[in-house]
Amino acid sequence: MSEATSTTAASSAARQSSVFKLTFRLPIIIWQSLFFIGPLCFMVAMSFFIVRNYRMQEDFVMKNWLKMLGRDYFWDSYVLTWGLAGIGTVVTMLVAFPAAYTLAFKASEAVRRWAIFMLIIPFFTSYLVRIFSWYVILAESGVINAGLSYLGLGPFVMLNTKFGTVVGYMTLTLPLVIILQTFALANIDRSLVEAAFNLGCRPFRTIYRVILPMARTGLIIAAVFCFILSFGDFVSPYYLGGSKPPTLPILIVDTVKSGQQWPRAAVVAVVMMVTLFVVAFAGIMAAYRRRVG
Amino acid sequence: MSDNRPLRWFLYGYLALVFTFIFAPILFSVIFSFNSDRFPTIPLGSFTLKWYQTVWNDPDVWEAARTSLTVSLSTATIATLLGFATAYTDYRYSFRLKPVYLGLVLLPPTIPLIIMALAMLAWFAKLGISGQVMSIIIAHSVLTAPFAMAIIRLRLSQMDPSLESAAWNLGASQWSALRRVIVPFCLPAIISSFCLTAAVSFDEFAISWFVSGLNKTIPVIILEIVTGNIDPQVNAIGSFVFLVSMTLVIIAQVVLMTRRKKEV
Amino acid sequence: MVAPLVEFRSVVKRFDDFVAVERVNFTIEAGEFVAIMGPSGCGKTTTLRMLAGLEAPSEGEVLMEGRVMNDVPAHERDTPLVWQSLALFPFLNARENVEFGLQMRGVAAAERRRRALEWLDRMEIAEFAERDIASLSGGQKQRVALARSLVIEPRILLLDEPLSALDANLVIRMQSVLTKLQRELGITFVYVTHSQSEAFAMADRVVIMSRGHIAQIGSPKDIYRAPANRFVAEFVGRNNIITGTVGKATAKTVTIDGSLGSFTVDLGQHEKPRQGDTARFVVAADLAQISTAKPRRGNAIACSLISEEFIGSVVTLFLEAEDGSELKVQLQERELSKMDLKQAATIYLSWAADQAHYIGAD
Repeated sequence: MSEATSTTAASSAARQSSVFKLTFRLPIIIWQSLFFIGPLCFMVAMSFFIVRNYRMQEDFVMKNWLKMLGRDYFWDSYVLTWGLAGIGTVVTMLVAFPAAYTLAFKASEAVRRWAIFMLIIPFFTSYLVRIFSWYVILAESGVINAGLSYLGLGPFVMLNTKFGTVVGYMTLTLPLVIILQTFALANIDRSLVEAAFNLGCRPFRTIYRVILPMARTGLIIAAVFCFILSFGDFVSPYYLGGSKPPTLPILIVDTVKSGQQWPRAAVVAVVMMVTLFVVAFAGIMAAYRRRVG
Repeated sequence: MSDNRPLRWFLYGYLALVFTFIFAPILFSVIFSFNSDRFPTIPLGSFTLKWYQTVWNDPDVWEAARTSLTVSLSTATIATLLGFATAYTDYRYSFRLKPVYLGLVLLPPTIPLIIMALAMLAWFAKLGISGQVMSIIIAHSVLTAPFAMAIIRLRLSQMDPSLESAAWNLGASQWSALRRVIVPFCLPAIISSFCLTAAVSFDEFAISWFVSGLNKTIPVIILEIVTGNIDPQVNAIGSFVFLVSMTLVIIAQVVLMTRRKKEV
Repeated sequence: MVAPLVEFRSVVKRFDDFVAVERVNFTIEAGEFVAIMGPSGCGKTTTLRMLAGLEAPSEGEVLMEGRVMNDVPAHERDTPLVWQSLALFPFLNARENVEFGLQMRGVAAAERRRRALEWLDRMEIAEFAERDIASLSGGQKQRVALARSLVIEPRILLLDEPLSALDANLVIRMQSVLTKLQRELGITFVYVTHSQSEAFAMADRVVIMSRGHIAQIGSPKDIYRAPANRFVAEFVGRNNIITGTVGKATAKTVTIDGSLGSFTVDLGQHEKPRQGDTARFVVAADLAQISTAKPRRGNAIACSLISEEFIGSVVTLFLEAEDGSELKVQLQERELSKMDLKQAATIYLSWAADQAHYIGAD
């Protein structure tokens, strides 16, 4: 008798506990499946749909793929996007490094914390307005050229160039890359760096032989994030880069906004996702590969 | 590392330059919003409030501001609830598919916005809920829930692991321990997460632009003005947007920092 | 027959592959002060947590007053715990912390407040009632934690190394606070600690655990004077453990031959061992004696002095026997001053036959 009551009590307690557990576990699973995994899967499926009489119909045809991948302008865009994002990543990593080095090794704890706080701010402010601001600053009669004219220089054409695009990319990525690089560098055991100096290692040699290899994982992750953000951005190449020829994100925008050719936009998006997946995977492999030799 | 004082000053100078680059667009946007010239440059024209007046008198901007506010507050609420539930699950339980679970939650920010925008647009059209304020809210919640999760999870990792058990031990059921101990402890992080997700949602334009239909948000208005021509109205709206986002971000940071200081 | 307040019946607790507690049986009577002691990882905290319902036993039963508690959730047991970290709620002040348990039991606000203040007063920290937890000292926090647990008037209080964060002086003071409280309230205290001095100073009975098993249960004196096995003898410390093989054995005594010599030891309650078996016995450091001249009695070991350690008026001498093993002896400083050890080449450590304690083979 007493045993029977104790089992019922136990099962009711267990049931309550699992209700509690699922209340916290399930919502996000349902939400993300419905509104994150769902849309992405549907987009992949959509790249096989067909458009007839300006209406999209569910189907399974290779037409969109053949059409997009068979066009030269698609591959021009692809190469351009790679090139711009690649240049942007290299430039951003190089520009960020001395700043991160200063924050990680030269600055005090308080300065470092404040700098990180400042670097977080842009991340939550309007990227669009900042790019528009650059547009005005970089224009032919804009702030920079007006300033340079006092020195008898210029005007330089900066808008609608790759330079403009890269400035835009950096507006998006530089704060994040500095933060990630600073964390990567700050995690290095400083006594090893000092040991290298004490052994007579010259500064640049120390950076190359000691600091870079030890911070490798963090630096590669920073570069991967930088590349993903640049590769997927349509605002900078559009407003600062002149959008001709278009990058892949601009291709998506144009295709969607100028008609019902969503399936073709989906093809571009899927190609982008696969590319980024490969880049991220390669980056992770490189970051966590055991050092050879 | 002895006689490197020049190097040190050089590096600090460089750092200042980098920060100038990062904050220049924000600064110029604010300055130009008070500048009378139609195409702002230096030397500056005279001081004016006319851009603000134009914006103030534009019913479309008011409409968009209302939509933006609705979207960002709703997004912040949903994202913070989802983020809290997820952070608590990660803190409290371990289970076999946890890496998959966490991946599901944390992955959205790594997908380019333009791709999410296209995918959401198509999916909402398929579900028959496109072009509504609700669609923007849903999309933004997916995007911002990971931030909420990260902020609250960080806070939970600062908690004495015995605290929740102590509440049970004193007679609190799982639910009342959650309400009386976990939520009060996480409150600073919950406020922060609310502010930051609201800020992200308030500034997001790509997804909003694709899925909003006629319910334009402020960033969508900006995008449309910018696409047309140069118009310093954008600086006025932009300064307002900066003011809102920065306020939210600073509140978030201050709440987290003062709380931490008090406990140390 | 009245059921004991607490009973563990062959309780096992496994975490994945790791067995934290392995077939533990013991009882605790109402009004006892029991200490559970052992090195870290011995399962003492897990045992306490099972009693509080914070861990479920993998096998066996935990009973309270005859009722099987295995499936009773933690919040339905009146088994308040004083945590090692104290686990005070940082967002509540001292009084609100104390009120927490009462609030969970649905006590009305005014009554709650009255009883909380009463307990804070009893713990001599009434003036800090409205203070933030962060602004209290270690000792004050300790008292808030005790008040928070005791205000719900439990029959049993669990304590998990509550004094480990305090400095030595405060530990001594809190020990007397705890023993006084336990005596006044007449309730059961179960006190988990790795510190022998805390356990022996406060507990009526001590449970010594080792790797999930109970090594010995007894009064502090039993454990100190009659360790049940080698683990306890070593853990308690201040013991000389001497190993050898069994030589001549009668029903009452046994001769143990080892590298230090041949000694006769009382068997006590132990059964007569077989000749040739390994056997050990213990000579407590404070029962051994030293002399510079070779004593008449047989149980003596010739040593040389290595070092001395003074703690108050008690001196511990560390000696080395001829075979290299280290031996200890404890004596009063004034006894030591009568001897001239520095001059002596050889010091003899000796003991009366009934002062050695036989512990068998393990």
